[in-house]
Amino acid sequence: MAKSRNHEQWTSPPPFPQDEYVDSRIYSDQEIFEEEQEKIFKKAWIPVCHESELPEPYDFRTTTIAKEPVILTRAKDGKVRAFLNVCPHRGNMLERAPSGSFLDGSPSGNPRHITCMFHAWQFDMKGRCVYISRQEEGYQDRLKKQQMGLRELKCEVYFGGFVWVTLNDQIDMTVEEWSAGSLEVLKPSLDEEPLEVFHYHKAIIPCNYKLWHDTNCEFYHDFLHYHNRITGFNDAYFARKNTGFDNGHINVGSFEVQYDNYEGSHSREEISFPHLPPNHWYMIDMFPGVNFNLRGSSLRCDIMTPIGPNEVMIEFRGLGLKSDDAVTRRSRVDHHNSIWGPFGRNLHEDLLAVTGQGSAMNAHAERRQILHGRHENETIHDENGMRHFYEEWGRWMDRLPSNPDKPFVEPAAASSAAAG
Amino acid sequence: MSSADAVRDSIYRSCMYKDEMKWEKWLDLCDEDFQYSITAYSPEIRNDMIYLSGNREEMLGMMKMLPKHNTDHSPLKRHCSVYVVEFEADGSTATAVSSIVVYQTQLDGINSHVDAGESKVFLVGRYFDKFRVTDGVAKFIEREVKLDTRKLDKGSHYPI
Repeated sequence: MAKSRNHEQWTSPPPFPQDEYVDSRIYSDQEIFEEEQEKIFKKAWIPVCHESELPEPYDFRTTTIAKEPVILTRAKDGKVRAFLNVCPHRGNMLERAPSGSFLDGSPSGNPRHITCMFHAWQFDMKGRCVYISRQEEGYQDRLKKQQMGLRELKCEVYFGGFVWVTLNDQIDMTVEEWSAGSLEVLKPSLDEEPLEVFHYHKAIIPCNYKLWHDTNCEFYHDFLHYHNRITGFNDAYFARKNTGFDNGHINVGSFEVQYDNYEGSHSREEISFPHLPPNHWYMIDMFPGVNFNLRGSSLRCDIMTPIGPNEVMIEFRGLGLKSDDAVTRRSRVDHHNSIWGPFGRNLHEDLLAVTGQGSAMNAHAERRQILHGRHENETIHDENGMRHFYEEWGRWMDRLPSNPDKPFVEPAAASSAAAG
Repeated sequence: MSSADAVRDSIYRSCMYKDEMKWEKWLDLCDEDFQYSITAYSPEIRNDMIYLSGNREEMLGMMKMLPKHNTDHSPLKRHCSVYVVEFEADGSTATAVSSIVVYQTQLDGINSHVDAGESKVFLVGRYFDKFRVTDGVAKFIEREVKLDTRKLDKGSHYPI
């Protein structure tokens, strides 16, 4: 007979192998959070924006990775470069605006230069220091501009124009290699012609970033969404495959969404992305906190920036084709925001759910054991996507997700040990 | 009541009805060809954006669907000041610009034991409205809610 549980029963391991549940401490512990910044976010490739956000020479865009301020610039050669957004003189943040153009001068400096407003040091779009105010008077010949360039970061434009940056100079793979094949399913649709961002908003949510990533990785939570139940939940929906790739990435396979089943919603087949069957819906979740979500006519991208163990900033972007005429673009915007906008049907529901998780899993709470143990032949309600993510997380952190005080053990080795 | 007062009256009543979640009464203030939108300019992508839009029928349909959706039931209160009301030469159409601040009083969005009852600014922006004025009654034909706030956290299912 089903019954409630006392402390001992509640905190005892569930009837699953160790890779099919995680200890809720990984969502709330300050030490684990700080370690993630060092071991994961300072090491991995992170997409930070889309190239359409800095389309012209001298445009810039600012962002943050692992608490490091980052600036992207586009130089006259058309190349996008990334630097720490930090003046080498006194450590001031160089550019404070989210985006703009250096074609305009600033109160402290000249057009076409990045100028630190504090002491008027200036840099060009390639990060070279080109001006030090009263240089000879103060530094004589002891310090030269050539020694004072910005800290450049590895940067690539890849996968439909997304701009990827890593703080890790020693990374030994390109973004393509990092993606390990996970992006291939959407590359034909995203690389056929230039894309453009038409939507941006952000949310700061009191939950751990992994909880948002989990929500993007598992579709069992479609019970949360009336829209998804009524437009999905047929045989084709339940046959969608979750596929794992190296480096902790996953794909969620597609099916044809029945948009007409939701009152006021309509088919999107007339403006599908290139090479995408009408009304199809693919999802890619990349380690450690990135999501690409293509629903027929519009692409959504979530980028997670962890702020604290129980706080994440999520940037939501919507993209269409740069060649869209006004009517087509308006339809893409409506399709995107009716579900995924800040006043849309589904996003609000997802954010409510993870807010509830964050509220219920504080750092000193009695341990919760978060279950990832559904097996449904790696289809849509299987939880293999989350299991795949946490296996990778365990490797990077050398912590066992189900017991983070213990070092990571590969699931296969753990199974052998248990069997032996 | 003057025509300008009729416009102000419709704006304030629209706030009151939405505060009370009387969506049909709000839409009764709107003409058949009413168009609603929530917009914002993004300095991040340097573009105007449309966060939500719909005509009268679509807005009513969205509100009628709400019981089927999980939602943050924390009520919103709209504090509005009408700045300008201007009439076209024919006197039958008017535009108005108003300041809008929306407060959210927490109910079930987070941990209700701790947070319920706390009021926070949810968003700030302006209403840009157009009216058709007939026999002293001002009916909305367009409302654009232009937001300054773009960090909307959990967001909302409610029109502003």
